[in-house]
Amino acid sequence: MTAVTLAAPGAALRYAPPIEAELDHLAATLGAVPALAERYPLRWLAVQLLEGDEQLLAEAESLGGPAVTAALAASRERLAPHYGEDLDVALVDQRYRFVHALAGQALTRPAAPPLTLSDRIDQVVTHRWLGIPIFLALMWVVFKITTDVTAPFVDWIDATLSGPVSGWVAALLSAAGLGGSWVEALLVDGVIAGVGGVLVFVPVLLALYFALALLEDSGYMARAAFVMDRLMHALGLHGKSFLPMIVGFGCSVPAIYATRTLDSRRDRILTGLLVPFMSCSARLPVYVLIAAIFFPAHAGLVIFALYLTGIAVAIVIGMLLRRTLFRKQPPAPFVLELPPYRLPTLRGVWRQMWERTAAFVRKATTIILATSIVVWLLLAVPVRGEGRFADTPVEQSAFAAVAGAAAPIFAPLGFGAWETSGALLTGFVAKEVVVSTLGQTYAVAAAEEEAVTPTTFGEDLLGIAGGLVSATGEALRALPGVVGITLEAPEEETAPEGLAAAVQAGFEASSGGHGALAALAFLVFVLLYTPCMTAVAAARHEFGSRWMWVSIVGQFVVAWLVALLVFQGGRLLGG
Amino acid sequence: MSVSEVTLDRLARNQNAVVRRIGGDREFRRRLLAMGLVPGEQVTLTAVAPLGDPLELTVKGYRLSLRKEEARLVIVEPV
Repeated sequence: MTAVTLAAPGAALRYAPPIEAELDHLAATLGAVPALAERYPLRWLAVQLLEGDEQLLAEAESLGGPAVTAALAASRERLAPHYGEDLDVALVDQRYRFVHALAGQALTRPAAPPLTLSDRIDQVVTHRWLGIPIFLALMWVVFKITTDVTAPFVDWIDATLSGPVSGWVAALLSAAGLGGSWVEALLVDGVIAGVGGVLVFVPVLLALYFALALLEDSGYMARAAFVMDRLMHALGLHGKSFLPMIVGFGCSVPAIYATRTLDSRRDRILTGLLVPFMSCSARLPVYVLIAAIFFPAHAGLVIFALYLTGIAVAIVIGMLLRRTLFRKQPPAPFVLELPPYRLPTLRGVWRQMWERTAAFVRKATTIILATSIVVWLLLAVPVRGEGRFADTPVEQSAFAAVAGAAAPIFAPLGFGAWETSGALLTGFVAKEVVVSTLGQTYAVAAAEEEAVTPTTFGEDLLGIAGGLVSATGEALRALPGVVGITLEAPEEETAPEGLAAAVQAGFEASSGGHGALAALAFLVFVLLYTPCMTAVAAARHEFGSRWMWVSIVGQFVVAWLVALLVFQGGRLLGG
Repeated sequence: MSVSEVTLDRLARNQNAVVRRIGGDREFRRRLLAMGLVPGEQVTLTAVAPLGDPLELTVKGYRLSLRKEEARLVIVEPV
């Protein structure tokens, strides 16, 4: 506000004389407090205090003590005969009058503003009937961009790291005489896998931030909030909360970062805590596997019901959170400018994509790398049997011991066996890993590893470049899918031979003969429990450690209770 | 409230009015004042969201959106 006087020295903003006199008084009193004088322009601070800014008032009183309180009370008292209760109105009014006078000298405007292109776009985009369909169509496009279009690049990064890069590391270690040692296993299965866990999210986040930058910079995001606010406000959220929820069906990580579009911290955190209940795509392979084993005739229905359960739980938990942790924080008032539409600039969009994605890589790497190494260590350390370090069967490793110790927690839910609790443990690394861990813990011979034909460094580089080209091609072919046209049939994935029988027998044994119920409880648990380490790292990055722990512990408890309800309730009903 | 005054949410679409008073707590009032809803200022209800809430207003030549529950705290006089 003082910026006006600074920017235009010839046109200083002067309030009415009685106010100016008090501003001088207050500025002098505030200037006697060095801590305040160093931090704020004194005249600006005096204006804010007279207007009644509660945050600044608390700060000024704590730093300046009773002198500030007394000076402010005296000023208010001297101004009361002039403005009564409306001192804040008078200050704002005088500022706007000044701006208006200045603009009047410099600008000529038509008496009746013409209908701009922006108005015309708005008439369609916020139209009574078209508004919501247009909004849903755009959300669908954002969802597809962050999932299908990025998938080929995710696969490419994954293949490059687990193939050529791991090969190079192994070759270098062999040259150093460490081939086949635990050092190689640590670097390849712990470190490279952990770094890969960060890098595979880079294309996803670049795509998300690309979409967000377009929506925000064009001005549409404000309209999206305008169109959806009624519905989301009924759930205690904000119109802008809808986008993170939709993105959450693809992946919780970009969804948590998508809460940045919300203005108030309360709304950001509340939305961020509910996002992981939207069933992310990494959980789908688990549903497909278990549902195909236990409910072959109704697998589709079971999976659909799980998605709905996630939404229902989010609504209930949202209500509970608003009545408990967020009781003292009422929803922020909805005061939103609908800016004129603008064409986003390439530079602005790219800068947002790059800065936000780089921030993720910097902040998330620690947690992800540490978790990957801990899981590798657990699997490497033998606690029973003949195995050596980094060369031990799963069931004799420290991992199995930890999983076994945790198993009783899940006994009331019908799946208290180390095989399943181990799978849930690795599910913290990434939800889709639950499937491959079930394969390992139930000791089903994994598909024969493809014989690795030795390649030269040059062939590797060619392979990586070729992979990038074909990934780009696939991404381009996925683009029509963004508007709902699918060119390729979805791939059919089948469970490895023997896994179905082993899983079925395992669930029957752990649940005392209620295998199907235990499987259902297991699915509900996978749907709701602690998000993966990357989502946890994202939550810490965005909301801080405290809220990260609320998310980790809270979701575990919620998942446990709902799974208990499913298993024990089902047993009571005679399932 | 005098006879001619109504709350902002009661305006008809495209109806003009002049802001008279702003209720609510201090922070809310500051927020609206900062956004240009100053007593004496002209305001127009431009549009209503597809689901009936929030409202779109034109004030000082730009578009501002408020929920009805917040617009109810703004007393205006139709012109």
